[in-house]
Amino acid sequence: MMIFERIGTYFQMVYHLAADPLNILILLSSVILGIIFGAMPGLTSTLGVALLTALTYGMDTATAMLCLLAIYVGGTYGGSYSSILINIPGTAASAATALDGYPLACKGEGGRAIGLTTTASAIGTIISMLFLVSISPLISFFALQFTSFEFFLLAFFGILISGTLTSPDLVIKGWIAGFLGLFLACVGRDLLQFYPRFTFGIPELDSGIEVVPVLIGAFGIPQIIQVLKDRFQIGETQKFQRILPEFGTIIRNIPRIIRSALIGVGIGSVPGIGEDIAAWVSYGTAKNTSKHPERFGKGEITAVLSTEVANNACVGGAMIPLLNLGIPGSPPAAMLLGALMLHGVTPGPMLTFEHPTFIMEVAAILLLASISMWVVGMLMAKQVVKVLRIPVQLFMPIIGILCIIGSYSLGMNIWNLYLMLPVGIISYFLIEMGYPIAPLVIGVILGPMADENLRRALMVSQGSFLPVFTRPVSLILFLVIVWTVVSQFQIYRNFKNKLMNLVFRRKTCEPEFDADAPKED
Amino acid sequence: MLEKEKLRKADVYSGIVIFLFGAWIVWQASKMPMKDSWGGVQNVWFVSPALFPLFVGAMIMLLGLLLFRTALKTIGLKAFGDTLQWLSSSKLFQFLNTVSILRFYAIASLFLAFVYLNIPRIDFFLSAVLFLIVFITMFYFDEAVLLKKLFFFYLTGTVFFIFYFAVGLDGLLSQVLPFAKDILALGFILGYCIYAWRLVRNSPQLRKKYRTGLIVAVVAPFLVGMIFKYFLLVPMPAEGMVVALLDAIWYFEF
Repeated sequence: MMIFERIGTYFQMVYHLAADPLNILILLSSVILGIIFGAMPGLTSTLGVALLTALTYGMDTATAMLCLLAIYVGGTYGGSYSSILINIPGTAASAATALDGYPLACKGEGGRAIGLTTTASAIGTIISMLFLVSISPLISFFALQFTSFEFFLLAFFGILISGTLTSPDLVIKGWIAGFLGLFLACVGRDLLQFYPRFTFGIPELDSGIEVVPVLIGAFGIPQIIQVLKDRFQIGETQKFQRILPEFGTIIRNIPRIIRSALIGVGIGSVPGIGEDIAAWVSYGTAKNTSKHPERFGKGEITAVLSTEVANNACVGGAMIPLLNLGIPGSPPAAMLLGALMLHGVTPGPMLTFEHPTFIMEVAAILLLASISMWVVGMLMAKQVVKVLRIPVQLFMPIIGILCIIGSYSLGMNIWNLYLMLPVGIISYFLIEMGYPIAPLVIGVILGPMADENLRRALMVSQGSFLPVFTRPVSLILFLVIVWTVVSQFQIYRNFKNKLMNLVFRRKTCEPEFDADAPKED
Repeated sequence: MLEKEKLRKADVYSGIVIFLFGAWIVWQASKMPMKDSWGGVQNVWFVSPALFPLFVGAMIMLLGLLLFRTALKTIGLKAFGDTLQWLSSSKLFQFLNTVSILRFYAIASLFLAFVYLNIPRIDFFLSAVLFLIVFITMFYFDEAVLLKKLFFFYLTGTVFFIFYFAVGLDGLLSQVLPFAKDILALGFILGYCIYAWRLVRNSPQLRKKYRTGLIVAVVAPFLVGMIFKYFLLVPMPAEGMVVALLDAIWYFEF
């Protein structure tokens, strides 16, 4: 009965949100903006969420969440436009879509591909929203049993796993980026004793480094520099005719859709890694399980379906750790965390007590955002695609202005700009040298949580680390952290190979003496 | 991202830099109270504000060392020696003078001047128009020769403004002429536009780009600025001549 009650409450929320024409207008505008941000190479949904955070700062929390989630959903989907039409992923999330989407467009099936990605993306978001609503109470229940040791280890694990999985080069670089983020989080007066750390007597640094301007700097400035310095050019777009919703294809591929959605939700739930990894894992799985893997890369419909379901399912998946544990599941979710904190909502286990209906509201917004995205995609794709004709040299400088005024407007503090720019330039150098930025951002966000919980935990245990090994969850987290680190080294891999060889050789051991072998005279 | 071999060579140096940075963090953290009393509270190590920075600094040092070792192992000592030689030779200056690096200088200088020089002092709308017109013309024309000329023109103007504010001329001139710095900025914008026009007037394609760039550079800041100022009620970082004019129009009308 309780389940029916919850479902009833949920649909009531959806109705209340949809009944206000202003909400519908805001929803549609944000989705369109998100699609544009996603479609334009050089812009990302993270940057879109960041810029909209500044614009929605003065709005009430519900309206702000409507804008931010709509732009997140739209941005994740919008990347498929440029992937399919010009073979350049609009966002990293749609890089896998380009492999089969562009060949489809070249065959004259661009409209079909876009129709498929639109429907697939909407389905992916809705499935992930269902997981968010059903799993959240369970995770909240477990999270309430957590103590400071568990939270410290969880934050540390989030940074490590983000560094491990997002690093384009050596894993060490991902970890370094994470620890640099932790260092930035140390700047300011510490939370327990109010001692000034790394402030150098500058009063503006006493409250620490603001998260949102740092995120804007870390994601926006390097993009602008890269696109303009490397003379990035958007090529000619492929033409396409009618866009069809492809319901028939969807129905024929339900098992694949469910599998891709599970991959998206699962990967989205892991702190710091986002839609791009979900899409690639889903693509790889679809290819490995396909009856015709040779068709992949040449315009295979199921490939496009798998990637788009997974990357949009990641949206809801990223909300699960964000809302229940206060740990963002992806870079745009990290941005959302910053936005929520600005609006006085602290995600974490206490969210269900402080704001009991918040998770349901988020789920309702995700449903409406998916429907809006589908409607906009079906009706307005041809018009939205025209933005791809705008030269990057014209809109990237405008993005620069938006980054600057956006950072400044949060707190009306010019120090935000003074910090944002060096962070942005250093992030550019880090990216050029193969360091991922997502762990740095996760480090900045989770740093205070890690610091406070470590010291609180040690205060309770009077300096002893024994509870790490005596508390079951702490022990599991500790072992996972150790395995995550150790498994990256060659020594471990060599040891593992030797162990596997030993085990398998013993299991399939052939007799040393073969009685049937011809005897040699 | 750089290609693999160059990346490993750069990693040797970045590993050293990261190691030294970690050491600096540890050194700074060691100055924080570990056992002494702070704010009336007697410290112990596990409550000390130094604990977390020490942990982070130590990890950064360790990872920097690991990176240095991995990179050195990959390229070998000979390649490391070759890189040192390259860094101390004229090839470094040649590299720093390439068009690609010039583009980076241009973007970085524009942002630095905009954020640290113009925004805190000059009317936001004028600063933004200057930023956009220079940014767009330098990159939209897509010619290295033009980029260089326009960049050095802009750099000259920036150096003038640095001198103007550093020496205190603004204080003196403002007593005689209201909005003196904004008038100078406007003059610089006009001068830049005239200079850019003279460079492109013989090419119809570039003239068209110039006109488009000019429209975007003027319209965009006003659109964005007015949304923030009059709808989101965000006061501009520096409000001068243009904001005074806009306020007069806006509050007269409404």
